Amino acid sequence: MLQLIRHGLNGKRPFPRMWREHELKDRYEVVIIGGGVHGLAAAYYLARDHGITDVAVLEKNYIGSGGSGRNTTIIRSNYLTPEGVLFYDESVKLYETLALELNFNLLFSQRGHLTLAHNDSSVRTMRWRAEVNQLQGVDSRLIWPDEIARLCPQLDLSDHPRYPILAALYHPPGGVIRHDAVVWGYARGADLRGVHIHQKTEVTGIDVTNSRVTGVRTTRGTIKTGVVLNATAGWATLISDMAGVRLPITTHPLQACVSESLKPFLNVIIVSGSLHVYVSQSDRGELVMGASVDPYTSYSLDSTLGFLEGLSGHLLELMPSLARVKILRQWAGLCDMTPDYSPIMGFTPVEGFLVDVGWGTYGFKAGPVSGKRMAELIATDRTPDLLAPFRLSRFEEGRLVGEKGAASVGH
Amino acid sequence: MSVKITGNNRRLPTARSQTINRGKSIQFTFNGKTYTAYEGDTIASALAASGVTTFSRSFKYHRRRGLLCAAGNCPNCLVHAGDEPNVRSCVTPVSEGLKVRSQNAWPSLERDVMSLTQLVDRFLPAGFYYKAFMRPRALWPYYEEILRHAAGLGEVVPATKPGEFDKVYKHADVAVVGGGPAGLRAALAAANQGANVMLLDSEPALGGHLRYATHDIGGQPAYQYAAALAAEVAAHPRIDVMTNTTAFGCYKDLWLGAVSGDRLIKLRARALVVAAGAYEIPPVFENNDLPGVMLGSAAQRLVNLWGVRPGTTAVVVSANARGLHLARELEQAGITIAAVAELRDQPEAGLITAINAPALTGAAIVRANGSRHVESIVVRAGGQERKIACDLLALSTGYLPANELMLQAGGKVAWDEALHEFLPSSVPPGIFVAGEAAGAHTLADIEREGELAGIEAALKARYGDADAQARRDTLAAQTADARSRRVAWSAAEADNAAGKRDFACYCEDVTRKDIQQSIDEGYSSIELLKRYSTVSMGPCQGKMCNTALVQLCAAHTGQTVRDTGTTTARPPVRPVTMGALGGRLMEPVRLSPMHEWHVARGAKMMNAGLWKRPEHYGDPVAEVRAVREGVALIDISTLGKIHLHGPDVPVLLERLYTNRWRKLDVGRVRYGIMVNNEGVVMDDGVTAHLSDNFYYMTATSGGAAAVYEWIESWLQTGWLLNVHALDATELRAAMNLTGPFARQVLAKVTDGVDLSNEAFPYMHAREATVAGAPALLLRVGFTGELGYEIHVPAGYGLCVWEALMDAGREFGILPFGVEAQRVLRLEKGHIIVGQDTDGLTNPLEAGLDGLVKLDKDDFIGKTSLVLAGERAVEKRLVGFTMPDGTLPEEGNQIVRPGKGPLGLEIIGRITSTRYSPTLKQVIGLCWLPAALAEPGHDFTVRVRGELKTGRVAALPFYDPDETCLRA
Amino acid sequence: MLLLTCPNCGERNVAEFRFGGEAVKRPAPEDVNRATWADYLYLRRNTNGMQREWWYHTPCGCWFVAERHTRTQDVSHTAFWSPEG
Ligand SMILES: Cc1cc2nc3c(=O)[nH]c(=O)nc-3n(C[C@H](O)[C@H](O)[C@H](O)COP(=O)(O)OP(=O)(O)OC[C@H]3O[C@@H](n4cnc5c(N)ncnc54)[C@H](O)[C@@H]3O)c2cc1C
Ligand SMILES: [Zn+2]
Repeated sequence: MLQLIRHGLNGKRPFPRMWREHELKDRYEVVIIGGGVHGLAAAYYLARDHGITDVAVLEKNYIGSGGSGRNTTIIRSNYLTPEGVLFYDESVKLYETLALELNFNLLFSQRGHLTLAHNDSSVRTMRWRAEVNQLQGVDSRLIWPDEIARLCPQLDLSDHPRYPILAALYHPPGGVIRHDAVVWGYARGADLRGVHIHQKTEVTGIDVTNSRVTGVRTTRGTIKTGVVLNATAGWATLISDMAGVRLPITTHPLQACVSESLKPFLNVIIVSGSLHVYVSQSDRGELVMGASVDPYTSYSLDSTLGFLEGLSGHLLELMPSLARVKILRQWAGLCDMTPDYSPIMGFTPVEGFLVDVGWGTYGFKAGPVSGKRMAELIATDRTPDLLAPFRLSRFEEGRLVGEKGAASVGH
Repeated sequence: MSVKITGNNRRLPTARSQTINRGKSIQFTFNGKTYTAYEGDTIASALAASGVTTFSRSFKYHRRRGLLCAAGNCPNCLVHAGDEPNVRSCVTPVSEGLKVRSQNAWPSLERDVMSLTQLVDRFLPAGFYYKAFMRPRALWPYYEEILRHAAGLGEVVPATKPGEFDKVYKHADVAVVGGGPAGLRAALAAANQGANVMLLDSEPALGGHLRYATHDIGGQPAYQYAAALAAEVAAHPRIDVMTNTTAFGCYKDLWLGAVSGDRLIKLRARALVVAAGAYEIPPVFENNDLPGVMLGSAAQRLVNLWGVRPGTTAVVVSANARGLHLARELEQAGITIAAVAELRDQPEAGLITAINAPALTGAAIVRANGSRHVESIVVRAGGQERKIACDLLALSTGYLPANELMLQAGGKVAWDEALHEFLPSSVPPGIFVAGEAAGAHTLADIEREGELAGIEAALKARYGDADAQARRDTLAAQTADARSRRVAWSAAEADNAAGKRDFACYCEDVTRKDIQQSIDEGYSSIELLKRYSTVSMGPCQGKMCNTALVQLCAAHTGQTVRDTGTTTARPPVRPVTMGALGGRLMEPVRLSPMHEWHVARGAKMMNAGLWKRPEHYGDPVAEVRAVREGVALIDISTLGKIHLHGPDVPVLLERLYTNRWRKLDVGRVRYGIMVNNEGVVMDDGVTAHLSDNFYYMTATSGGAAAVYEWIESWLQTGWLLNVHALDATELRAAMNLTGPFARQVLAKVTDGVDLSNEAFPYMHAREATVAGAPALLLRVGFTGELGYEIHVPAGYGLCVWEALMDAGREFGILPFGVEAQRVLRLEKGHIIVGQDTDGLTNPLEAGLDGLVKLDKDDFIGKTSLVLAGERAVEKRLVGFTMPDGTLPEEGNQIVRPGKGPLGLEIIGRITSTRYSPTLKQVIGLCWLPAALAEPGHDFTVRVRGELKTGRVAALPFYDPDETCLRA
Repeated sequence: MLLLTCPNCGERNVAEFRFGGEAVKRPAPEDVNRATWADYLYLRRNTNGMQREWWYHTPCGCWFVAERHTRTQDVSHTAFWSPEG
């Protein structure tokens, strides 16, 4: 705030630059591929918590150009499995203080998150989640139509013919945030501590000798390094293929859209798994809306008409009064889907080649905790307990994470 | 500029075009006052005709905003009309009694308190909110509420009616978007080659920009020239004209989304001509947003479409021939031209001399002055600043080609230095861009390129002959060098010093300085700049501001505009209502043939996937008792039913199910479970061997479609078995007659089969006639009592059902629903796949190990189960009771002391539980660690926050030796 | 890709189809160990380019193979499965 006032009074004094541009060095201690929230957060915590500042973040486009600048920013920790809840809860807590820490207002808006149940089997799953959440100390409970009506009067709670609203899982700390601000805040924090952020720098190859990473090739030259972190979400398998590591990931587009700006009227985030839609209202007044991933794998960022039709039809089932609200813009991002709807973090068979991927449709909320814990893993060379359930080897071991049940529209 | 409500006091004596009908008046209200309009008016034209000049308040500073584009592209005239927020009043027809109000202004449009923010604008640079309101953290929610209420434009009306939205599909050989001279020529050319053409235009009539121009074209005014061309098009048998129709999206494979009122049109074309013209765009200078400052085309539209005088004394700022035509037209309409400020040094001499006003060439705009409305403008020309009084400033200084549809389809544009426009540089196959959308600006160029595009589109759609190709080549050759050049306002060349309230972006109130500061902070690539400054993210979707943004970015970073590039074009081209997109929900409801019967008997219906099923008929406990003690009937038509024919069915079953199927004699039924490749339980059901090479499989209601698809996938993708599968789910009605008296009841209506236990034992199937219907009887026992599933052709369902109910009356028969069924199956310890199992459950842990034959040949999931079997089972699905009678809830967690905020660790969960009226106790199924899964073991379950004790019990709870079942 | 060609029915809107994933060959149970079985279950090429994949046409119940480019969405070829590949 002071900064604003000073700037306002003395118009000539420019705001400091958020991040600088650098020549690409030919050697870095750590190279992070992907300038999304995961890559930048890892760089930030490496520098802040472990004093590792000889770090390059390589981004083929501009920072936040991947999922981190395209997501619908739902942040919550009401997952189904105890390991999931514990992990995301740490992230929500980090988010709560992140604006102060980065001195950048991230517009984190913890306005409450409602997952609607339209049939008795989802009521059962919601209760299951609420119980698990409560046992992990997460504020989450099952609520019924009278309370739902108080929280969100726009919902059609009548004895609706097709998809009646029977109950909802209510998660008060759930919220939305300004995604770009998170990316920029981490970038500035990392830059301030000496990390090099290289935009418009695409990784084209990874050098591996005797199952050890030795370097990274880019469109701007080759870098020698012993540690490479793959944080490229939708492009994760393309990068890991370069290192000869195969990942159980398929890439699916996920679409979203916003409406024109409206005066505030929707005070909670509404998610319906059966109808495959969710909606929140941003501080700018736009409704931010999305659905499930496109039903086939693809690297295309094309939007579809079918998405707009399905989304609108389903949302109007929930809130008929939105019929005259207009869609302003639609877009798509790429999601790295894993078989168990859980991320893959940690070591791989190639020494020095680490992954923080498999973030699917839900990874934005995990940026802080993954960044922090992956930094810890890099600095200590051991897997933090919180990350252990998400190791790559779980697939071969047949020990998948059980989030599948709750992941229908799992953002 | 005070606003007196008289109506039509700003009308010109005669309208030049025929849009309005002065013979028919319409009354509507704006902010509570009544206005008079004419038929053919838009809301905005009627308000402007009555002297309204302030239409809205801006997003951030709440500045007054008047008409800018009058063409539906900018944010300035957004109002709330009827039920609808954010209505573009300049293109929305006015209707009798319509209630219109302004948005985002409090307490009123005239006196808006929030406009005081302008006074502190230097503390509110772009992205100011990222730098403030963080401390103390506890106050952020309050700050946030203030920010939220300051933002936002229209309001959602809670009682909005769903409306009569609908959708249509259309097909065309060639779709032409834009009915201006390029589109008209294209449509004619394509249709003349034999193609069926669909021509879409968002305006109410064809003609494009000529529709509101009066300059002379070959001896007639422009609008008449256009009307003649349009008439030719409309009369063409192969051209289907759709006006008032906006093509908003071009998706993969030329799948076009268009909207016409409340109707969504989905149009599939073989070729697309984008001839959507160009958006006139404003230059950036101080106070460029004052009411009275408008685009030249807006002034022209007001005058020529609706006969509205946009001002009395005008200054025309021009950088192209259109601006000079406009000055002339305004003069002819009786508006005094105070001056023409021509940005070019050498404009078309003939046009300049035709205007009776002083012309300043080589001029630059410095600022506009005025508080509520423009009062004067300062221009610089010949090294000297001049202030000129005016109440209308018409800007004709540049265009943004409307080629978004091409961009959405994957095309690219590049900056053209000569035209100062982004022109197509790579056009996707099947798309042809013509006219102003492609950068043509003289009528000759526009028409020629239109024709060329039409021929190319027809050729693409496989019409046209060698002549057509020759014609195409001729036209193409002419086009290559015929482009006329012109200059547009350029940020790079414009005066950078002014920089106050010079808005690059009207939607978001972003000034030149905001953009420069954002770049200085590091947001220097165009996409970052857009996201940080929010330029182009508002209602205009970049139409008004994107060019300026790119130019300003280039100027400030020292890059070329070409290298700076532009932002991604995203659909829709114009905002579209969710009502139109959503249409009416077309999701089928599946009803059993006996549905009406259930409803008539007061059944409480529930959703079960797409089906409706009776949950109960009022008293589920009585229904349970009827099954256990008498007889009852349940509708199970929702069960999946699959016919399997062919010699290889036994092999198929052997591979689909985990248990053995090779030896199943005719007349026998067997239960089986299916697992997926991962060994996870996916479905269960019974299959009957009915005759040689014919089996009848049932699957769960929820799993039916997936099981059928699954079977087909294995049959078609590698197994090459001689089996034919048919999904008969909807072909047959099914019901389960169950209870100790089931046999007696069935016997009353059944012919052709001996129902005695010896002749027709448990787990056998028979074909018979039931109530005159050919029926398949399966003696199975989900409920645990003697029971017969009766499967009949769907058309017989209701009559068989009624016959059974009649026959059962003497035994006190009751219909029963899903709730009673859940209790009954639980008493028998039967699992429900998906409720008692989850996405990772294998049958070895679910108590189904007896049904898994790992020693048989390959079956789906075998390898996974073999691997799983190498490890000791870690958890088990078991039965339990609650010694203290507490009824837990499904989803409750089983815990033990451990870490965790409540001092508890999760070790299991309850998946099913009910009070059993038969056993008079609470029973259920739960997951427990294998070590704790022995009957008699006590565990702790958290029920509504309290810790309760449960006890593992042996399954089944009821009739363990199956005497009832096999009776 | 708006249209897909079902070998049974011809060109249809993609909304009528269900994606069945990249075409992979199921290994014979006797040839696998834990690692190769996990590969079969979970590893896909996930290529940014031409992909051989399964589709299911719901109205007619036909499973078939398509060659599709995963970035441009262009489908070059669809056909019934045949043992020759
Ligand atoms: C529409 C949509 C809605 C979503 N909604 C939510 C939500 O509500 N909540 C939530 O938690 N999550 C959500 N997600 C998921 C979330 O966006 C992602 O999981 C998350 O942003 C992943 O962050 P990341 O940093 O790992 O990857 P990204 O942000 O995708 O960053 C990866 C970066 O790697 C770069 N890259 C790729 N290849 C190379 C290369 N060869 N060289 C250099 N750089 C390369 C890319 O350009 C990209 O910037 C949503 C996603 C989408 C698409
Ligand atoms: Zn077909």
